[in-house]
Amino acid sequence: MWFDLQDDVGDSFELEAKGGVVVARSDDSALMALADSQRLHGVTAQKVDSGELHSLEPYLHPDLHSGVFYPQDAQCQPMLAAAHILRTVIARGGAVISHAQVKKILSHDGVLHSISTTQGDFRAPIVINAAGTWAGEIAALAGSHLPIAPRKGFILVTEPTQHYIFHKVYDSDYVANVASSDADLQTSTVVEGTRSGTILIGASRERIGFDGSMNYDIVRTLAAQATSLFPVLRDVNLLRVYRGFRPYAPDHLPVVGEDAEIKGLWHSAGHEGAGIGLAPGSAELITQLITGKTTFMDPAAFAPARFARVSI
Amino acid sequence: MSAPINFTFNGSTYSGEAGQSIAAALISQDQRVLRTTRFDEAPRSIFCGIGICFDCVVVVNGIANQRSCLVEITEGAVIVSKQ
Amino acid sequence: MILVIGGGPAGLAAAVAIARNGQEVTILDSAPRAGGQYWRHRTRVDGYKSEKSAMYLQEVAQNPLIHFISGANVWSASRVKDGFAINYLVSGNELTVTAQKLILATGAFDRSLPFAGWDLPGVMTPGAAQSLLKGHGVLAGRRVIVAGTGPFLLPVATGIAAAGGTVVGLYEAQSPLRWALSPVALLLNPSKFAELLYYAKQVRKYRIRIQFGKGVTAFDTHSAVVSRLSSDLEVVAGSEEKIECDVVAVGWGFTPDVTLGGILGCAQKVDLDGTVIFNVDQNQRSSQKDIWIAGEATGIGGSDLALVEGEIAGLDCVGIGISPSLAFRKIRKTLFARALQKSYPVGNGWKKWSRNTTKICRCEEVSLQDIADSVTDLGAFDSRTAKLFTRAGMGLCQGRICSRNVSEIVAGLQGCQVSDNERIGYSNRPIATPISLGELSDGKSTK
Repeated sequence: MWFDLQDDVGDSFELEAKGGVVVARSDDSALMALADSQRLHGVTAQKVDSGELHSLEPYLHPDLHSGVFYPQDAQCQPMLAAAHILRTVIARGGAVISHAQVKKILSHDGVLHSISTTQGDFRAPIVINAAGTWAGEIAALAGSHLPIAPRKGFILVTEPTQHYIFHKVYDSDYVANVASSDADLQTSTVVEGTRSGTILIGASRERIGFDGSMNYDIVRTLAAQATSLFPVLRDVNLLRVYRGFRPYAPDHLPVVGEDAEIKGLWHSAGHEGAGIGLAPGSAELITQLITGKTTFMDPAAFAPARFARVSI
Repeated sequence: MSAPINFTFNGSTYSGEAGQSIAAALISQDQRVLRTTRFDEAPRSIFCGIGICFDCVVVVNGIANQRSCLVEITEGAVIVSKQ
Repeated sequence: MILVIGGGPAGLAAAVAIARNGQEVTILDSAPRAGGQYWRHRTRVDGYKSEKSAMYLQEVAQNPLIHFISGANVWSASRVKDGFAINYLVSGNELTVTAQKLILATGAFDRSLPFAGWDLPGVMTPGAAQSLLKGHGVLAGRRVIVAGTGPFLLPVATGIAAAGGTVVGLYEAQSPLRWALSPVALLLNPSKFAELLYYAKQVRKYRIRIQFGKGVTAFDTHSAVVSRLSSDLEVVAGSEEKIECDVVAVGWGFTPDVTLGGILGCAQKVDLDGTVIFNVDQNQRSSQKDIWIAGEATGIGGSDLALVEGEIAGLDCVGIGISPSLAFRKIRKTLFARALQKSYPVGNGWKKWSRNTTKICRCEEVSLQDIADSVTDLGAFDSRTAKLFTRAGMGLCQGRICSRNVSEIVAGLQGCQVSDNERIGYSNRPIATPISLGELSDGKSTK
């Protein structure tokens, strides 16, 4: 879908189907079971042995023996993508009002009426809430309820290096951690190179609210995990650290659909760390739902109503 | 005066005094270009001279991105502009 | 334990004040020798009032209560149970020192402005020319132009000439008459006349040609274009002349290094000259308990003010009251620092010195055109968004050289002023100096 979007927008935002490799640490049975179920859903997931793994990623630690290769895994430069998409929106007659913080959302008898922002008031029959980690606050402004909470993460960015990493490389426990409901800190490696020559190392996950403070112990843990996958990275310098808050819902599934209490208020939020990847799909789904067309997939699992308040 | 320190830069031999930075030793011998850039392959030399700008980075004994204005020359050091 | 970070005039004065009051103190510095960027030396200190700097350097070397750790690059700092943990690198090894009290004296570095050819070998900051000469005994070039603005150009030019180099010209962009704007500051600092006289003699001795109201606006490895400039640094049309040279040492004041205090959460503000500095009280206390800040990081003021601030920080840190005479000296020097800012302003006329192809971000090779396109085509509205679209400021130096310039360029294209929040944003970074992933992996948790 991203490639269709890039064709549609007609510009380049460093979109590249570089493929992903999930590396098993020791026991690979859980990973292989996951790959089998993904194949059933149409995902190309190829089991690779030691030789294949090291020809995909020659700098991987020699003790790593097996993994799964996902040739469809892609990456893009999300800021550039957003800028080019916005530009296309304007070119097609849309308006972009920036620096507009939503202050109030008015509704009458459970039907959305208008919104007030720092850049003025706007009346619209349909408002889509795509406010990411702050989507829950937008829902609250409308008097509704959406349990989107922040899951803090650090990403390390290295200096530009030689080409050491050729795909997006995941440690197999990454898959388990993303789905975990544990509030404690989890770190599991995902390592990838970028067009600019830097290497990105993620990702930590912790639920400590909107606490933006730096934690150098997490930085050390991420570095240790990355260098255990790729010993060659030991001599590569860390330049900076990104901090951010992923929006997550209690069941780790996105929220895409109309609000359970306010008609006209639609949500597309809570994609956690997968928001960029799922953006075109979520957009397609919500567009089909709003326009009453047949949806390309069953939207039931994403309905906001699954978090409806229980009245006592 | 202590004995001169010998090192190589991009395969040629240079010498300098103990305590001199790589950049200072090279500039004193008219070797002003220290590297070329990643994208345009444009020549670069020392700029801030105090380790802030990273314009003078070279590969010292296999370790990339070393600031030649700070790193002192050592006997037998192998220094190259690029890996 | 008391830890001083930075071994320039402010840090040394703090350490000396602490040791003279009988307490132990450790200084961490990234250079091989004490003295900082201003008191640079290899074997002996020379230049104006060298006996003063020599006194501090000697005391640091000889007082058994002062420990000096050289070659230490601090990459991170955090508050721990009973004080602070400072993580630093010494020749590739990571070490941690803990301290109950911290004095930050992290200094400043030259501010650079882009112009056509500024990324060619041969263009450097006055600080680089000074460091090559004083720190390493090497002349930056055969025919050197010293240019920009501020009193630091004088020791650089006279130093090169004294070492046998040819100073083709010293171009000070601002008029000396601007000092007339600050009569009180001048009258309260008569010692500055003596310093000026010292340099005037040096300039005459080495026959250095000083010209005011001019600056280097282009360079092509063999020659520089020197133009007459307005006080806002706009080129006066038709005034350009070509001067043969192989090096131009050009600097536009200084940028305080606020990284470490920023990591530790010390409150910052924007100074009159647009630099980001720390908020400190009259005793150099920062907004964070047990952290004092002295020297350029509390406002560019030169070594005299740094010495006074360092002494005050050191005394307050060991609980000694500040005498009225020391407090008055700080007021005098602060007034002089203000006068410096008024006398050597850096206007925004420099934006026209670049061609469209001139790299504004030297690390990531981002041109003026790239930045302009990010504003007009992609909707960048500040240095942060321009950085995300173009990578300007994302390179090895982490925007230390270009961020402020990118910010001014973006604001100019939008017809607005750079906000204080934006200035504080681009002046801070979580990793103070690059550290290898191997060193990070091997490091111990500080909790």
